[in-house]
Amino acid sequence: MLVAAPLVSRDAFFVDRIGRFLLLAVFALSVDLIWGYGGMFTFGQAAFFGGAGYAVGILSTREAGILPLPLAVSIVGAVAASALLALGISYFTFARRGGLRGVEFAVVTLAVSVALERLANAGGPVTGGQNGILMTYRLGPLHQAHGFYLLAAAILVLTYFGLKRYLRSRAGLVFRGIGQNEERVELLGYDVPRIKRWTFVLSGAIAGLAGSLFYLHEGIVSPAAVGVGSSTLVLLWVVLGGKGTLIGPIAGAVALPYLTARLSGTLLDTWLVVVGVILVVVILLIPAGIFGFLNRERVS
Amino acid sequence: MSVLSVSGLGKTFGGLKAVANVDLEVERGEMHGLIGANGAGKTTLLHLIYGRIRPDRGSIHFNGTDVTLLPVTARARMGMGLVFQIISVFDGLSVNENLLLGALPKDSTRSDSVDQIEVEKVIELVDLGAVRDRSAGKLGHGEKQRLEMGMVLLTRPTLLLLDEPTSGMTQAESRRTAGLLQTLRSEGAIDAAIVVEHNIEFIRLVADRVTVMHRGTVLAGGPIDEVQNDPAVQASFLGRLH
Repeated sequence: MLVAAPLVSRDAFFVDRIGRFLLLAVFALSVDLIWGYGGMFTFGQAAFFGGAGYAVGILSTREAGILPLPLAVSIVGAVAASALLALGISYFTFARRGGLRGVEFAVVTLAVSVALERLANAGGPVTGGQNGILMTYRLGPLHQAHGFYLLAAAILVLTYFGLKRYLRSRAGLVFRGIGQNEERVELLGYDVPRIKRWTFVLSGAIAGLAGSLFYLHEGIVSPAAVGVGSSTLVLLWVVLGGKGTLIGPIAGAVALPYLTARLSGTLLDTWLVVVGVILVVVILLIPAGIFGFLNRERVS
Repeated sequence: MSVLSVSGLGKTFGGLKAVANVDLEVERGEMHGLIGANGAGKTTLLHLIYGRIRPDRGSIHFNGTDVTLLPVTARARMGMGLVFQIISVFDGLSVNENLLLGALPKDSTRSDSVDQIEVEKVIELVDLGAVRDRSAGKLGHGEKQRLEMGMVLLTRPTLLLLDEPTSGMTQAESRRTAGLLQTLRSEGAIDAAIVVEHNIEFIRLVADRVTVMHRGTVLAGGPIDEVQNDPAVQASFLGRLH
């Protein structure tokens, strides 16, 4: 309901806010793909989401050499930068011999997040240091209220159905198999590192697309965008909604930030406690998340 | 040419010689039983052949190719298939999806329909048609065993390696599995099989020749009726055959 409410709302602020949450939902889907379906727990997904924010900021705002680039080229460049970053990380983490799994993989992604946050802080005029980068480009009629909402909704719908199709495909079936029993898939003769690598790159590109538009719309990107805080927050949305379901992370990424925004206006001092309690209760009672629980009930 | 030729194979874990100087030949069309007491090195040998464990010495030739140092994935693609003792089907996927994972080509030159046709053949062979849409986690033990075998069969193995395939099965299920292996051979679906088993009745039903292992070495080899009369074998293990 919350997702569709802007279609009938005239409250530009509300519509704009839901548009932002829809891009966060795309970000959450990128995490769900590799963690919920592929079993790769990551603490560093903001590297791609926030990293794309920085890339689009640098490409479209800085004045040096061929810069600034046109907006569309900057967005494509930012998505490519996130995908390339994912590809680079994947060469270390999914090596044919000594590839990383479980906690080891999570620690490496955490380290990437910490390193990028420091780099953003120390990047001087390129990254804007602590102040980040102010972006002056606008997305034209798609920058505010209903236009922005429709843009975000279109990207979310395309991502949702694209991932649904991928997960039902041959390659997606193998990837889901990896999430359940990686060694077994390898023993069946599949090239597991290659499949993990390219799905990780896909996940990075999806996060990059969402991140580039999100921060263009925000008009600013700062070091926290690539940091551990952002990477952890998206995990909470996925857990709350239900990892391994496509609808769950969308619900989590819209409902939790919305709840946070509402409560922070009314419960000035205690809203964080209320959100924390809700999360703890949900995770304790239904560890599979809301939609994970509902799906299981429907199956059994 | 033998389907499999193992020569002087050895593997030591810490100070323990799990497999020591083992020679083994498996001919085309042969079902070969690998028997011995617990800790004799049967499963280690099977996993050395499949490449899950790397040997310290010796060589393994598969259809004339030296595969001693090749990884599991390469051996699987060359036509080796291992049916695990501990069932490792994908609990969260349906029976049909589990089988498709076995059937899908590791290259991508064939169409989806070809894969599904192969799944249909195997689903009938392992008798799981009635539960094809059920998630594998909800199957009974015998059904899971058959699914495990079905997945491996769909990788189109020419050499089938089975690690205690009747473990946990009822007598009727064991006989059914023996019938399945005989069908696979008579239809030419596999070139050869190696079966590690404690169930001697099952070995009698399926194996043409057996190799008896004891403390990592080969104690005796040949048709089971000959082997069971070997005094050394009787002293160490096969008293149980009588």
